[in-house]
Amino acid sequence: MGSLFGTLSIALGALQADRGSIEVTSNNIANVNTAGYSREQVNLSENPPVQVGNLLFGTGVSLGQTTSVRSNLLEVQLDQANTSSGQLNSFLGAMNQVQTLFNETAGSGLQTPLSAFYDSLTQLTADPTNSAYRQGVVTAGQNLATAFQQDSSNLKTLQSNTDLSVVQSFTQINQLTQQIAGLNVQISNQVSLGQDAGSFQDQRTQLVRQLSGLVGISETQAGNGSLTIATTSGAALVDGSQSFALTTQINPNTTYHDVYSNGTDITSNITGGSLGGQIQARDQAIPGVLNQLDTLAYNIETAVNTQSKAGFDAKGNAGVNFFTQPTSAPSAASTIAVAISDPNLVAASSDGSVGSSGNAQALANLQNQANVSGQTPYNYYSNMVFQIGNQVSQAKNEQTAVGLVQQQLTDQRGAISGVNLDEEAVKLIQFQSAYQASANVVNVINTLLTATINMSVAG
Amino acid sequence: MSVRINPNEAPDLLAAIAMNREAQNTALQQISTGQSVNQLSDNPSAAAQVVLNHVQTSQDTQYLNNISALTAQGQTIDATLNSTVQAVNQAIGLGVEGANGTLSNADRQDIASQLIGIRNQVLGLANTTYQGSYVFAGTATSTQPFVLDATQPDGVKYNGNASVNSTQIAPGLTIPINMPGSQIFTNPSGDVMGALNGLITALQSNTGIAAANTNLSTAFSQLNTQRVFYGNTLAQMQSSKTLLNTKQIQLATQANSLVGVDLSTSITNLEQAGVATNAILSATSQILSTLNLLSYLK
Repeated sequence: MGSLFGTLSIALGALQADRGSIEVTSNNIANVNTAGYSREQVNLSENPPVQVGNLLFGTGVSLGQTTSVRSNLLEVQLDQANTSSGQLNSFLGAMNQVQTLFNETAGSGLQTPLSAFYDSLTQLTADPTNSAYRQGVVTAGQNLATAFQQDSSNLKTLQSNTDLSVVQSFTQINQLTQQIAGLNVQISNQVSLGQDAGSFQDQRTQLVRQLSGLVGISETQAGNGSLTIATTSGAALVDGSQSFALTTQINPNTTYHDVYSNGTDITSNITGGSLGGQIQARDQAIPGVLNQLDTLAYNIETAVNTQSKAGFDAKGNAGVNFFTQPTSAPSAASTIAVAISDPNLVAASSDGSVGSSGNAQALANLQNQANVSGQTPYNYYSNMVFQIGNQVSQAKNEQTAVGLVQQQLTDQRGAISGVNLDEEAVKLIQFQSAYQASANVVNVINTLLTATINMSVAG
Repeated sequence: MSVRINPNEAPDLLAAIAMNREAQNTALQQISTGQSVNQLSDNPSAAAQVVLNHVQTSQDTQYLNNISALTAQGQTIDATLNSTVQAVNQAIGLGVEGANGTLSNADRQDIASQLIGIRNQVLGLANTTYQGSYVFAGTATSTQPFVLDATQPDGVKYNGNASVNSTQIAPGLTIPINMPGSQIFTNPSGDVMGALNGLITALQSNTGIAAANTNLSTAFSQLNTQRVFYGNTLAQMQSSKTLLNTKQIQLATQANSLVGVDLSTSITNLEQAGVATNAILSATSQILSTLNLLSYLK
């Protein structure tokens, strides 16, 4: 049979355990709205009994290490969804601007100046001696050239802006990997001491979540609580206490920033996250549109110039280039310009006589001939519009799907790690009652001890 | 033990509110623009077809403008040829009169003088200009096509050319829009100018008047044959104009079906999204203000 002091000790231990449990509950309640917080659980354990004679007596309760409740698998899945979301958001950020440039449903784009140019040639067939019609062709050509130049310039500006975003993303990545490496140290220290590193893990989880939004990553638990992180293509970012900074260099060919890891250019291997989306837009999607624009401009220029030179101007002289002839397709859209300023130089005549409109008709017919990569200029442009719209549409659909996955995963995470105030209230009541009971036990023991002491004095 | 659910409903509620707000905005934008496709990604295929629809509309509008300009020119030419026919018809009457054997030499000279006047009138008609261009000069429209030239067998020299302009007046339809003057006024199968000059000479010399009259009749027939060309051209243009006007309506209808909005659907969508937004806002307000157990602790 235990002593009164032993019983007092049991009550004291219970008071400590209950107070600790109330602290944990209080911490959970305090962090109910903290992003990334994983609720903590109290681990109460029964103390080993003592044997007195042939009887065993319990020795009370101990408060063990608290445990953060989390699913590492869910966290990784959330990171992966975040990577997809980051990529789609940044890609759409750029491509939404591209589709605005060619929004034919609102009258933006090349269809109007393109039609106006060919229509001006059709108009000239009605009366090739009409100076207003001739001037109309020159003006429509200039307007078309300006439209090409503006679209090309806008696309390149967008590319440059996206490049700035690439630099910003890479800076953020380096800051995050440094912080994650620091937390790895703290977590592994805690783990080696057998302590719960929950709050550090929560911080790290949040940072990894941010990192996954910036670039696609693969995560490996190192066993001592630290996390090894690499890009999905294998470039090391964090290994224990060490972080590996990404660097950038300006590519002399593109004039944009390439991303390097340990001296190796990994730009084309980066996928996922906003950095992946930015690189995809900057290096693939926007250049794809620019390339189509250049091809269209180059082939229109070449066809019109070839036909112009086959005809005669208003003075009966052999026709000259209508547009300045580019040597090749790249940059054709940015350099296109009308080569003539005198409307009489428009080669409308097919035989040198002033009233002949044969060549004007031949020039107008170019709009219906397959002279741009096997398609008519209009069909080529129409396809280009479709491709831009389709890229954005697909990305938006994926974004919606990823959003739903994120929402579902967040719900699953909340179900496991989220703080439920009702649940915490019940625990609070439980621990409060237990604390009050233990306090009463202390009072009782105190009364008993007083009685015992008084009994001794009286004796 | 009950299944634990996500205690934090706020993100789901916010997502639901955002979704309904977006549906409201979409419906509102469709109603305000009158279009169901407001950006390429709304319907890439429809947007691409709209490009081609607008191209055709623009092309057809230009064809209609050309038809309008060419019709005015064609009508002028047709009126000119009508005057020419009347003049030649008058000349034929004078030729018949001049062939009357009872006429004195002075009478024949008088008729010859009248015929010279008619020949000059026809010459003037053959040199008609439209907006500064000679319409019977082939494509050499800045050169006066017909001048009197005694060295020529028919007494007239043609300075134009034999070229013809062909113009597209509808998709896939290209028609010649002019006929060289040589084919109308100095056609070897019926030379109007030559026949008039021949009759004048015959009356003045009182020889071969009957043959000259025959030549003029043949030339008259030839003139009427050639004149049909402009009549056909005008008819073709009128026909194309009717076709293009119908097509314009079809294209506008097609454009509307591609990107136009169905107002009743959009208004219904707007109403539905509004009701759904109100419902989710009300639900959010109730859910987030629901007391939890902690509220009851004293």
